[in-house]
Amino acid sequence: MASADTVTARTLPAVGGGRASAFLRRLAGKLGSLLLTLWLVTLLVFFSRFLVPGDPVRFLLRGRRPNPDAVAAVTAEYGLNLPPWQQYANWVVGMLHGDFGRSLQYRQPVATVIADRMPTTLMLVLISAVLIVVLGLAAGILAAVRRGKPADRITLIALTVLSAIPSFVGSIVLIAIFAVGLGWFPTFGSGQGLFDMAYHLTLPALALTIVFVVVVGKVTRSAMIEQYGREHVEVARSRGLSRGAVVRRHVFRNALRPIVTVGGPLIAGLLVATSIVESAFGISGIGNLLVQSVDRLDFPVVQAIVLLVVTAFLLVNAVIDILEPLIDPRSAAGASAR
Amino acid sequence: MIPTTALRVLRAPRIPRATATLWISVVVLLMFVIAAAGAPLLAPYSPDAVDFAAINAGPSPAHWLGTDNLGRDLLSRTMWGGRTALIGPLAVVIGSTVVGMLLGLAAGWRGGWVDSVLARLFDVLFAFPSLLIAIMAVALFGKGLVAPVIAMCIAYAPYVARLTRALVQAERTRPYVSAYRVQGFGGPWIALHRVMPNITPVVGAQSALNFGYVLAELAGLSFLGLGVQPPTPDWGAMINEAQAGIVSGAFLPAIVPAVAVVLAVVAVNIVGEEMSDRIGGEVPA
Amino acid sequence: MTTILDVRGLTLTLPDGTELLHGISLHVDAGETVGLVGESGSGKSLTARTALGLWPEGAACGGSVTVDGREVIGSSETGILAIRRTAAAMIFQDPRAGINPMRTIGDHLTETLRLVEHRSAQEARARALELLAAVQLPDPEAHLTQFPHEFSGGMLQRVMIAGALTSSPRLLVCDEPTTALDVTTQAEIIQVLASQREARGMGMLFITHDLNLAASICDRVCVMQGGEVVEQGDARQVFFSPVQAYTQRLVAATPTVDVATDPTPSPPVGERAGVGRDETQSQARPRATAPTLALDVSGVCKTYLRRGKPPVQAVRDATLRIPRGGALGVVGESGSGKSTLARVVVGLEQADAGTIRIAGAESSRAPRGRTRRLARAKSVQMVFQDPYLSLDPRIPAGRAVEDVLHLHMSLSRADARRRVLELLDAVGLGERHAQARPKTLSGGQRQRVAIARAIAIEPEVLVMDEATSALDVSVQAQVLDLVASIRAERGLTVLFISHDLGVVRRVCDETVVMRRGEIVEHGPTEQLLRDPQHAYTQLLLDSVPRTA
Repeated sequence: MASADTVTARTLPAVGGGRASAFLRRLAGKLGSLLLTLWLVTLLVFFSRFLVPGDPVRFLLRGRRPNPDAVAAVTAEYGLNLPPWQQYANWVVGMLHGDFGRSLQYRQPVATVIADRMPTTLMLVLISAVLIVVLGLAAGILAAVRRGKPADRITLIALTVLSAIPSFVGSIVLIAIFAVGLGWFPTFGSGQGLFDMAYHLTLPALALTIVFVVVVGKVTRSAMIEQYGREHVEVARSRGLSRGAVVRRHVFRNALRPIVTVGGPLIAGLLVATSIVESAFGISGIGNLLVQSVDRLDFPVVQAIVLLVVTAFLLVNAVIDILEPLIDPRSAAGASAR
Repeated sequence: MIPTTALRVLRAPRIPRATATLWISVVVLLMFVIAAAGAPLLAPYSPDAVDFAAINAGPSPAHWLGTDNLGRDLLSRTMWGGRTALIGPLAVVIGSTVVGMLLGLAAGWRGGWVDSVLARLFDVLFAFPSLLIAIMAVALFGKGLVAPVIAMCIAYAPYVARLTRALVQAERTRPYVSAYRVQGFGGPWIALHRVMPNITPVVGAQSALNFGYVLAELAGLSFLGLGVQPPTPDWGAMINEAQAGIVSGAFLPAIVPAVAVVLAVVAVNIVGEEMSDRIGGEVPA
Repeated sequence: MTTILDVRGLTLTLPDGTELLHGISLHVDAGETVGLVGESGSGKSLTARTALGLWPEGAACGGSVTVDGREVIGSSETGILAIRRTAAAMIFQDPRAGINPMRTIGDHLTETLRLVEHRSAQEARARALELLAAVQLPDPEAHLTQFPHEFSGGMLQRVMIAGALTSSPRLLVCDEPTTALDVTTQAEIIQVLASQREARGMGMLFITHDLNLAASICDRVCVMQGGEVVEQGDARQVFFSPVQAYTQRLVAATPTVDVATDPTPSPPVGERAGVGRDETQSQARPRATAPTLALDVSGVCKTYLRRGKPPVQAVRDATLRIPRGGALGVVGESGSGKSTLARVVVGLEQADAGTIRIAGAESSRAPRGRTRRLARAKSVQMVFQDPYLSLDPRIPAGRAVEDVLHLHMSLSRADARRRVLELLDAVGLGERHAQARPKTLSGGQRQRVAIARAIAIEPEVLVMDEATSALDVSVQAQVLDLVASIRAERGLTVLFISHDLGVVRRVCDETVVMRRGEIVEHGPTEQLLRDPQHAYTQLLLDSVPRTA
């Protein structure tokens, strides 16, 4: 007797081909969404200038002597006598060609100024990211596996205290103890060459790690603890799987989704926190450049950096989003994510 | 499905909270608030009172916590600094919560085009880390506390809105809301008088946690020299001024305000998380 | 006959001192099915779990539990793992929760084979295919690469069974495996379980709250209450001649469709009370001639459009009528459209076509505007399925009822309070319940509050959407009795939605059977049960567990 139940199986869509095209559709959708958001972001970044009351020339030349030559140069360069939409269009076209304007403080193309400082910041972010992920996961897994026991409580307390240490406090404390007090590390500068740079960037990376390891640790812990309460973990246990296998294949594996989701905001937070850490350690990276440019009213540079950070964040998020079905197969089908 | 005792017992959350920690945190917070509010009356010295005879002095009966590089009393400066350090985050939390809840309610209750437009708006705002928006605000409007505070309200509102929206959407499908409808209550009334009060505690607890982040970020902004300007005392600004002194071994002028920041944030976080746990609302994924 | 599971004097105490099991003794032999029956809180699930060492962390167990000769209590971790790997296996209530949604079905089935028994991938795969075929799944090859969300509940339960059988256990523990399934699917799963048990000579411990089910498939039955075994013995004997008082109450409270064994007739047809109607209210509604039909649904259709998927026709051309004071049952499985129909009648959804008349007044559209909303509310009210979510968690019970009164009538505070207490009294609750928040009330008490709330403004029709499905058997019986008595006192008309024919039989004069949005049969309940006309009704009746 054909049951209502098994008939469903025969009417399921053909696997194989169905999945590939579903993936491509999702991909197209996500990319479209990304581009739309990116476009809106550029609008926001560009037109924010117009929120400031007064003459745009005055604004760009704040703090500098507004002699007629400078005014004419700036007006020509930024097309300030053109209608706003035209200015915006020029700006976007320029960016697509790699032209981000000229820095007012360095009198160089913004692109050059930023590119010079990029490697340092990238290295700092990379070192920090690795430390954060490794230590955060370790702490979170340890706390989750030993939940309710002393190891868990200690980890939680440590994380709570660490989370209260902002990056600038962390920097100062690390400098005070390890650089000045013990003299193990240099107090400022970024160094030359790969290993020297890594040496110089150790303390700054630690300062960043202190802040963000908490995020990863807590998310890992809570996601895993939530999974422990789920029935499929019990089923796996009932089948005789060893403790380690259960944790690996069912607890941690299912906890991946919220952990990975936090990755995007993590990167964004890291990028911005570099501005504080680089300032404290006197490192000439993008973050420091941002602060300097705000201080010296070099708006073109500020604009470019903001756009860069936001774009990087959106890209990371989009990649995580697109790869989501690998972690959670339910999202591929658009099924509810519970 | 009738939950069996076995499942209920197996899944009961553990982690017994040490209430001693909670009470200590509350006391610490109260101390900060009283110290900050009562600074004009309670601080032993004026925050600007320089004394070149006692530069970078250690703790003494005259100066309980020592002095900074201009001989100003650190205890007094820290007390006065608490004013800007605490008011800023408070304004941000209140502002972002109010705006965020209203927007989240609008998006979550009705759905439709309002939700789509707001979703897109939030997407754009989410792309900007909060500190970045604050920095942008300073770049546009100049240094100080006002611009960053307003900017951070705008930066944090989407987070509150997203949470509110998710909660409202979840509540909307619950039978008790349908029951109200069947009884004859109107949609807006149900949303404002019955659904919102049910979700406010959860949103409020989350906002309380944001207080800690905002405090750290605003202090960081002042540390960069972009927020509160010297000579106004502020914990972040104080640390900035004390930077130079560290190389020569004068740690106190930096450590004292640093400890103040850390203590305040820890206390707020503990209280906030405790509130969150007590309220125990389910935060939908 | 070899004893596969031997439980003697089992006790279980939580770390905080609460004792949940007080000395359980039972046994399961090879080739027999033993039922473990009880209501929520009886400890049946806990008892079963100890066989596999799955007790709550930190709990202390006393007594003895031997599985295939091996002692579980006090055993080392390796010992327990050995039992789980070779001697016993368990299937759980909710297959969707029990199978890891992030891994394929193939992974779920071959996991233990590969990791525990260290078989090669091909061997494991072959075995998995074998098992999938044994549980009668149509396309084993394809299923291996599919994910759980692509399967229906019934299919997933078969997968769960297949997974449990990979280790060729001697004892199979089944924890409410069919509770979350439709009655027809349940019948199929039971058949799969029975055939597998037969083929492998396993002993089966079957946990359920459904006495009918236990009596129909088990050889012996143990009845549990409050952590103790109250009665045990041959299944039919316990069901037909229970010895203990609790068992007798349980049997009496269990609704059944067996017309032969339980000839308690449902309420007589056409009983019209029509009393208790407040005369002052008749001025609000025009009543030239009192209509004889309380509810008149004609040709109602409702279709749901979904993005990217074909539209769902939830209700197709539904027509039904209930006379004043009558009770009509709507029976169907999941996807039959019965809940949608209820929501349309009540005004939560709007029908795409057809008309609805309540007490003669046109009510086809979802009400717009305050006056129409209030008028609609006065004509029909609803009691929902989930007692935990249908009351506002913040509002005390008394106030929940009071709010409705204040919305529709202008009463003074004192008058309103008095009426609230009257209503609570009518549903069997007292003054202390009026102050209580829903959190502190039991499931049955909450449903009573919901009923009080619903009848507060004296609607023409009361719709009960699976209102007792989430309650324990004995509580359900009490609530059904309450509904019957309220109906008699106040002349209420009831539209009763349920998936359970036995329950419908207790309440309703007439019954309507729905399937995939259509009404396939209708008629007086007793007649329908005795002599069904439509093949689907016959299928439903055949699927219901009986103690034949």
